[in-house]
Amino acid sequence: MSPLSQTKKAHLQEGIAKGIIWFFVVLTIVILAWIILYVLYRGFVSINHLHYQVTDTIETAAAGPDHPAYPISMIIQRKVRLKDDLTSAELFEMYTKRRQPNWGDITGQNLDVELFALTTESEEGTAGAEIILANRENYSKHVTLEKDGEAMIKAVSSTPGGIGFIPSAMVETLPRSVKAVPIRRIAAPVNASVKKIVENVQIQTIDNDDLLAIFTGKVKNWQEVGGIDLPIRPVAYSQNAGIRGDILNLVLGENNEPAEQGILYVDTPEVFFETIDSLPGAIGMTYWEDVKDIDDRPMITFDRLEVRQNLDWHYLVEAPARSGKWGGISTIIINTFFLILFTLLFSTPIGVLGAIYMVEYAKQGRVIRILRLGTETLAGIPSIVFGLFGFIFFVGMLGLGIGFISATLTVTMMILPTIIRTSEEALKSVPLSFREGSLALGATKLQTIAKVVVPAATPGILTGIILAVGRTVGETAVLIYTLGSNYELVRGPSSSARVLSLHLYNLFSEAISFDRSFATGAILIFIILLVNYSTTSLIGRLNKKAGK
Amino acid sequence: MERYNAMNISNETTDQEKKIKITVRDLDLFYGDFQALHKLNIDIADQEVTALIGPSGCGKSTFIRTLNRMNDVIDGVHITGTISYETRDIYKNYDPIELRKKIGMVFQKPNPFPMSVYDNVAYGPRIHGIKDKRTLDEIVERSLKQAAIWDEIKDRLHKPALGISGGQQQRLCIARVLAVEPDVVLMDEPTSALDPISTSRIEDLIDELKKSYTIVIVTHNMQQAGRISDTTAFFLNGVIEEVGATEQIFFSPTNPKTEAYITGKFG
Repeated sequence: MSPLSQTKKAHLQEGIAKGIIWFFVVLTIVILAWIILYVLYRGFVSINHLHYQVTDTIETAAAGPDHPAYPISMIIQRKVRLKDDLTSAELFEMYTKRRQPNWGDITGQNLDVELFALTTESEEGTAGAEIILANRENYSKHVTLEKDGEAMIKAVSSTPGGIGFIPSAMVETLPRSVKAVPIRRIAAPVNASVKKIVENVQIQTIDNDDLLAIFTGKVKNWQEVGGIDLPIRPVAYSQNAGIRGDILNLVLGENNEPAEQGILYVDTPEVFFETIDSLPGAIGMTYWEDVKDIDDRPMITFDRLEVRQNLDWHYLVEAPARSGKWGGISTIIINTFFLILFTLLFSTPIGVLGAIYMVEYAKQGRVIRILRLGTETLAGIPSIVFGLFGFIFFVGMLGLGIGFISATLTVTMMILPTIIRTSEEALKSVPLSFREGSLALGATKLQTIAKVVVPAATPGILTGIILAVGRTVGETAVLIYTLGSNYELVRGPSSSARVLSLHLYNLFSEAISFDRSFATGAILIFIILLVNYSTTSLIGRLNKKAGK
Repeated sequence: MERYNAMNISNETTDQEKKIKITVRDLDLFYGDFQALHKLNIDIADQEVTALIGPSGCGKSTFIRTLNRMNDVIDGVHITGTISYETRDIYKNYDPIELRKKIGMVFQKPNPFPMSVYDNVAYGPRIHGIKDKRTLDEIVERSLKQAAIWDEIKDRLHKPALGISGGQQQRLCIARVLAVEPDVVLMDEPTSALDPISTSRIEDLIDELKKSYTIVIVTHNMQQAGRISDTTAFFLNGVIEEVGATEQIFFSPTNPKTEAYITGKFG
């Protein structure tokens, strides 16, 4: 082979090797960035398909069918972090529930709903009762009655978590502490034949576009929106049906025209429900409160895609409630830092002093080899095994019970090997010449270690401590059996507590909230980034001071 | 036996005018089972530069490290024979800490600690209990001046010592030793890691220091030994083949091995 072609071959090999390395580097970076960014993205943005009994159509001023001239508007106090609207079902539930309702189920904040209603002596009061209660029930005992709109605004604005309603005309002049909330109250009852199962097909949900397509005549068969093979028979109120006659145009909006043919128009609710019940394939739109037998009646469920901000500062500063379903994670963050702090308080001195003994004092013989093998083995043991040990030993045998002290000690056991191993390596990497230089000046061994060796090894020791902090922050398995799951602030050594990773585990495994799982995950990532960044800059400063 | 006599003769001529600082008698040193030094006998005179020369691995460094008990740090080293410093046996009647305060050591590779220049020099006095800021300032200035580095470094006293040049680092290490006010300074190939200019500055410094200190220097460089030392000892395979006044060793060696080494036949 000629020298030239050999050079060529070498170049080719080099090129291929470079290409392979480059590919894997890029692949690794892409995977890492993707994971981190995905968790952060889902932490900040919640994307959910929610199912409702009502359409997407909102009404700011809602009039009761029997009181068309007295429309009302719902108002809430500003502290309530309601992003868009309320449905009739939610209003009904709130105003009739026996226990005091909480905003947690709707907005996630742990805040009691303070209910206000106008007395039925006024026309608006009767209209409100008609819309909210559908004349099915009375207000619950938690509802405070106000005599007019002025008094209502005053009451709602001064009560955290307040909700009430006022004559729509007053919406223009609301104070800043109160805001109007649109409601959604149009439901779509169907004939029972629509929800039949035929050949394993059953209609699940439709979305607003499907509904529009049905009433504009673009869709003629249930098959086209995911149902069985059955012609669609749309039913709507005619213009003679009073305020209900507006429903069709309200839902369709300005840009859509109702289908020329195929819509069956009715005049009264009685005829409406008779038609729906008797006509196979029928679907109609009416107010939710018109549907008296709400639990038995076949209705179409609407699917709505809701994209919202997920993680906000409220989540960081509010205390959790209802297993973390409501409120934030403030106490859990504090518990996490307590756990880190106390774990380091126990493990750093023991670990570093142990490493100093092993490197500087112990005779490098069999005992040290066994000790080293032991720490290496312990460093690799799955944390659940430490959890088991902690549960049997600290919780059981020592009788410390499930709580903060058991968890701290168990996590200390778990991270000690990591700290010992990294500190050992850091101490070993201090050049012998530093030790000799110090000893040759007449320093004792202890002085040499304290003043020269340990300071020189500090960056390495700190690296080990960060690794340990990372393990502590991310630890779940050990804590399940030793820390319990109380989400309140830790009060003492024996109090059960919950830390971020454990909270995430509970939120996820008990299916409490997917959004909150991601929000907690994002916070965990932030804490790790923060710890890593601050320690890296600290190490950088130490190295600069040492002149490295 | 012949060798022993030859050494005695050469010593007799110097003993009359020189005060002896360190006396080594029948020194054997073992690394485990391996004998590294064989029956060494040498007297080190006060306020003189004693150079130890010889090929690599002949035991010069091992020997110089026995003089302030630096070999104590190494596992498996044991010695027999006696080394007396001012008539006291350093292995029996001295605490190594006390001894090393009197007999300081400068190493082959500059080894400043990873701290500031000032803290490096003040390290020794501090561990020996001097806390007063003004006293420390004086010691640092005096030591750096003695080590002929003060003018170069006085504006950078609080900068990291690892940031200065290799030659400066070595003079800083010398200053660090001088700061504990030793009596004897041992230097283990102090210039072997340095460039020629730094080397010549260190040599000038050694010349200056011998007025007030006893210096023992291991060197690979025979010219250096010739330039700076008063007495030279030639080591070969763990044995002192010849010791005598530097001029005598270089111009009229009595031992044929010395002559062969000096004239570059091996080494």
